[in-house]
Amino acid sequence: MVRVKSRYLLCELNVSDRSSLLLLDDRAVAATVKAAVARIHGDYGAALCSIRFNVKYLNAHTGIVFLRFPKSCYRLLWSALPFITSVETRGQKIPCFLNCLHVGGTIRTCQKFLIRYNKQQLHRMLPTCKTKEEENQVRKAILNCSLTGGSREAFEDEFESDEDEEE
Amino acid sequence: MSPTDKKDKPAVYQRVVLKNASPYHYMKVCLVLEDESTRLSAVDLKQFIISGLKSLYGEVGAALTFDLLKYDEDTLTAFLRVYSRGLVKLWSSLTLLGSYQNQACAFRVLQVSPFLLALTGNSRELQLD
Repeated sequence: MVRVKSRYLLCELNVSDRSSLLLLDDRAVAATVKAAVARIHGDYGAALCSIRFNVKYLNAHTGIVFLRFPKSCYRLLWSALPFITSVETRGQKIPCFLNCLHVGGTIRTCQKFLIRYNKQQLHRMLPTCKTKEEENQVRKAILNCSLTGGSREAFEDEFESDEDEEE
Repeated sequence: MSPTDKKDKPAVYQRVVLKNASPYHYMKVCLVLEDESTRLSAVDLKQFIISGLKSLYGEVGAALTFDLLKYDEDTLTAFLRVYSRGLVKLWSSLTLLGSYQNQACAFRVLQVSPFLLALTGNSRELQLD
């Protein structure tokens, strides 16, 4: 009834070279987003960002990030995300861009979307497989997630290893 | 309503309220500096206000279009015009501008109106002889 509402932005971090993705951590991404918001929206934006902004989840293998913003100003802060060109971490600047896939009111709805999205990505990956072994792995992963009662974590791990195999 | 009613009714008091009547808002502002003898040109003043917008509202704020319609260099009084949606941003950044080239300064907002004609008269500066 009375509850503090936030918006969770499901973003995908696209980098040109996948190995540099593994260097990222949530504090680096948070600092980058805050710096971008401060540059684009000034002191007002930086203040809005300090209220309830957080990086809730970062998957270094797939580059999926969950960003949490307060519901009252999420659109303003969202508008600063396209201006991010690189993430600064451990002295290195990794050029990348953030692609927002979904906006949800809770982490659970974002996760549900992420599972559906990953399934679609697996289906899309199948025709582009180069070796028979990869194709078999992707088929197994698809079968795994289509069967009822298949555990969610198992299928997500399959997806990560498939992503690495692809490259 | 019969015709006799219309003739007998006295003139009715009508109040017309215009909301969002004008797309622009006009402000008359005066810059007060610590050192009274500094002079700014019109371009300097506009650059100064843009820097204030940039520090408070970032790149998006600095892109807010406003016009310096008239400027009096001796009294440092200016007429600004801004779209009504940008009035709050402009006014708040004028309020928070504190220093010009290392000297303390303040913007005094003398008049604000959606109509330029309203800025011609000011009852505060009225001289009754």
